[in-house]
Amino acid sequence: MSLPLERELEGMPLEFANHEESIKITGFWMFLVTDVLIFASLFALYAVYQGGMGGGPDPAEFFHLGPALFETLLLLTSSFTVGLSIWAMRRGQTRAMTAWLLVTLLLGAAFVVTEVSEFVADVAQGYTWHQSAFLSSFFALVGTHGAHVTFGILMALALLVQLSQRGLNAITARKLFTFSLYWHFLDVVWIFIFTVVYLGGKLT
Amino acid sequence: MQAALSYLLHTLFPPTVLRPTELGADVLILATGVIIVTVLTRQKKWGWLWREWLTTVDHKKIGVMYLIAAIAMLFRGGVDALMMRTNLALPSVHFINAEEYNEVFTTHGTIMIFFMAMPLIFALFNAIIPLMIGARDVAFPRLNAVSFWLFAFGALLFNISFVVGGSPNAGWTAYPPLTELAFNPGPGEDYYFMSLFISGIGTTITGINFLVTILRMRAPGMTLWRMPLFAWTALCTSALILFAFPPLTVALGTSLLDRLFGASFYTLGHGGMPMMYVNLFWLFGHPEVYIVVLPAFGIFSEVVATYARKPLFGYSAMVLSVIAIMVLSYGTWVHHFFTMGAGPGVNVFFGLSTMLIAIPTGVKIFNWIFTMWGGRIRLTVAMLYQLAFIPTFVVGGATGVLLATVPVDYQLHNTYFLVAHFHNTLIGGTVFGLLSGLYYWWPKMFGYKLDERQGQWAFWLFFLGFWITFGPQYLLGLQGMTRRLWTYPFGFGWHELNFISTVGAYIMGAGFLVLVYNVLWSMQHGERDLTGDPWDGRTLEWSLPSPAPEYNFARIPVVTARDAWWAMKAEGRANQVKRVRPEEVAALELPRNTGMPFFLGLGFFIMGFGLVFRWWWIGIAGIVVVLASMLWFGFDYDDKKHVHPDVIRRTEAALGRLEA
Amino acid sequence: MSHPTEPALHPDQEPVRYLHAHFEDDRRFPWGKLWGYVGSLALTFAAFGAVAQHLWPPTALMTLILGLAVAQAGLQLGVFMHLRESRGPSWQIAGLALALFIAVGLVGMSIWVMLFKSGVS
Repeated sequence: MSLPLERELEGMPLEFANHEESIKITGFWMFLVTDVLIFASLFALYAVYQGGMGGGPDPAEFFHLGPALFETLLLLTSSFTVGLSIWAMRRGQTRAMTAWLLVTLLLGAAFVVTEVSEFVADVAQGYTWHQSAFLSSFFALVGTHGAHVTFGILMALALLVQLSQRGLNAITARKLFTFSLYWHFLDVVWIFIFTVVYLGGKLT
Repeated sequence: MQAALSYLLHTLFPPTVLRPTELGADVLILATGVIIVTVLTRQKKWGWLWREWLTTVDHKKIGVMYLIAAIAMLFRGGVDALMMRTNLALPSVHFINAEEYNEVFTTHGTIMIFFMAMPLIFALFNAIIPLMIGARDVAFPRLNAVSFWLFAFGALLFNISFVVGGSPNAGWTAYPPLTELAFNPGPGEDYYFMSLFISGIGTTITGINFLVTILRMRAPGMTLWRMPLFAWTALCTSALILFAFPPLTVALGTSLLDRLFGASFYTLGHGGMPMMYVNLFWLFGHPEVYIVVLPAFGIFSEVVATYARKPLFGYSAMVLSVIAIMVLSYGTWVHHFFTMGAGPGVNVFFGLSTMLIAIPTGVKIFNWIFTMWGGRIRLTVAMLYQLAFIPTFVVGGATGVLLATVPVDYQLHNTYFLVAHFHNTLIGGTVFGLLSGLYYWWPKMFGYKLDERQGQWAFWLFFLGFWITFGPQYLLGLQGMTRRLWTYPFGFGWHELNFISTVGAYIMGAGFLVLVYNVLWSMQHGERDLTGDPWDGRTLEWSLPSPAPEYNFARIPVVTARDAWWAMKAEGRANQVKRVRPEEVAALELPRNTGMPFFLGLGFFIMGFGLVFRWWWIGIAGIVVVLASMLWFGFDYDDKKHVHPDVIRRTEAALGRLEA
Repeated sequence: MSHPTEPALHPDQEPVRYLHAHFEDDRRFPWGKLWGYVGSLALTFAAFGAVAQHLWPPTALMTLILGLAVAQAGLQLGVFMHLRESRGPSWQIAGLALALFIAVGLVGMSIWVMLFKSGVS
């Protein structure tokens, strides 16, 4: 296109320098917008059903803050490490980038394992989502987030294979960048789950 | 073996799908299928179908596929409507029984909204938007194909319910407890939730796609304030989709969890609230009304300016009113359930916010009229629909304001007054708009005009049929006839009006047949469009040949004004823009066709089918196909094909657009 | 209407106020990210501690921890998500702002509508 655009490109990171890939980043942001609304709808369900205990447990007796805090720390740290991965990517340090991505992945896996074992323990105690609307909305909200994290781990695995096959180029850089957006976004959602569901549950 | 077979037969073909109407549909579907397969095989067209259409990522072809699917669905939904009207023509007619009537009004509503109006809108978005803003394709061509196939397989899943397993029967809104497993055990409602869930994902992707296309891929010089109104409405519609479909996805998903996996979201026991589903559904449902009507507003804004040969009156006011409608439409959803009784505070708030929307809409009506004022109007079919739209939509809007008045709503809620009101806006607004757009853009999509005289016949039948159908329904509503009533006794005094309404419905049906004849006739004998600009248009798509070549623009035009093509013609630069010098043609990268979107849709279809019948292994197999298709997507770096400049030069030369 | 001789702007160069793109420059050491991490930990423990200590009455406490969560979300967006980075206007800011507005409305109004606090129940 015209010259000024080319001049602007100097100093632009790899994932933005390619016009098409930069459009995909805009598209990914718009996907995140739809996801904000998905979680908002689930939060609305949860907020309305907080009192709908039926014959099931109430929030204060149901939640365990310990594992929830542990999960929070895992996700916050993984958010930091994926940030470091992007930082390394922008400096062209592919080994550091891969290493931080691997750490992120492991932290994410630890998060999923903790969450699943919590769920399994709940169900073993007889707290299923059949029991009450409150439990239904809790499992739907937290489970949807957990499914997102699981999907993110699969995404990162596929991305690691592609990075090892093709190295860092405009496309893989863009994919890593959008993955990091996804991951940070899940962290933001978790912060609200931790605050509203777990901490808020102790306030009722 | 015997036992398995009888189980299969009993599950797939229970007594409810072995009634005369269903068997008729079975025979019809089988016959159509056999004819299509035979013709394709005899003509050896399977490869062609796969290579040129099923795997295509070209927005123009995807637009055509949306159009074909939407017309087929219009037929299906229309037949449903005629079955209902036949049953109501006279008191105590039992043309279909009550259970069938429930199924028919459910599929009529669902199909008309999700599988007719939406794809018809996407047909025009796909066919026109990239050409209008000077782009070579949409932002994400492959995702565009994914959207289409998710819609197509969702629609297929919904439609087979009629003949396999049983139709949904709880209305197009599918409120619990009517959909609660305990009260509605058949597969019908699972079909409903599953198919809308699948096609809803596709629609969300379409929203993202067109939003980004319009924000990032306009031709140089086409600032937001120079964008044609249709592009503006496409932008706002896409944004509405982004914000409205997630609540629907959650409502559908949680309902599925209730039915399939025993959750307690909307059950009557265990603290669930059926009204919470209603709340989430209308959080989607009201913006959806504007999702389907805003594009029609955009079409009318293009049509009126072209046929009045005047720039659109009050462009900025038009844009701002579209944005205002977009934002306001999120704050009105409770007016669909005022009678829940959330209290005066809630009802007054939502009643007022609903009335507020009439203001930007009124602004638009006046601006269209002022655009016509003093213009040299050509009464083409597209313009006729515009002229019919204005009074029809004004009545629809005014009755909407009536219904927004809470005490009135308590009287008229779920009566035929409401039915008449929303058909008034959906047919008078959306369908008239889309038909207007089809007549207007048909030459651009297919290279020939639709015959005007036949089109006028179709128009008058459709327009008069509409008023004969729905005019009486207002009165029926005021006389207390409620919606979804399958029959009524003699003494209520409803029969005259109902009979008139049924006659009107058949007139509309005749209008549809004339429309189809019009298309088929024009395909053979219609006036070919060799200029690319048959209507003396104003926007960029008319600077291209009809239909546009695969790459759309050999050279991306530079836009200097609103109504870009009109300005180019006025400045005498039309030929300069149309014709390209050989040395100006550069090599292009175009998206390469791929079967991935088809298989992704197929995977969702298999998954949906398995879950509907609780055949978990089939469901899991479907999910595996979905994940495999996504992996294929991620690992396929070879998604571009290179087009040599010579190919483009040859194409342009054949179109007479290459400078010697 | 502008004059034809005016140079044509590519959509990526179109100036839109408040949505100016800006690329982050964190060359030597990721100080920003480190402080972001420390900040998010601090906010988390502050919220946790406030609840564990029953610092204030429930409603005030809920407001406090929601405020801390919003602050932390802003931190994630600003520090880690490169919110302003884009070619041309940062459309994602407009999208997210609208999403936030609608999400808050959706949750808040759903509670208002569904919990029947406004009168009849």
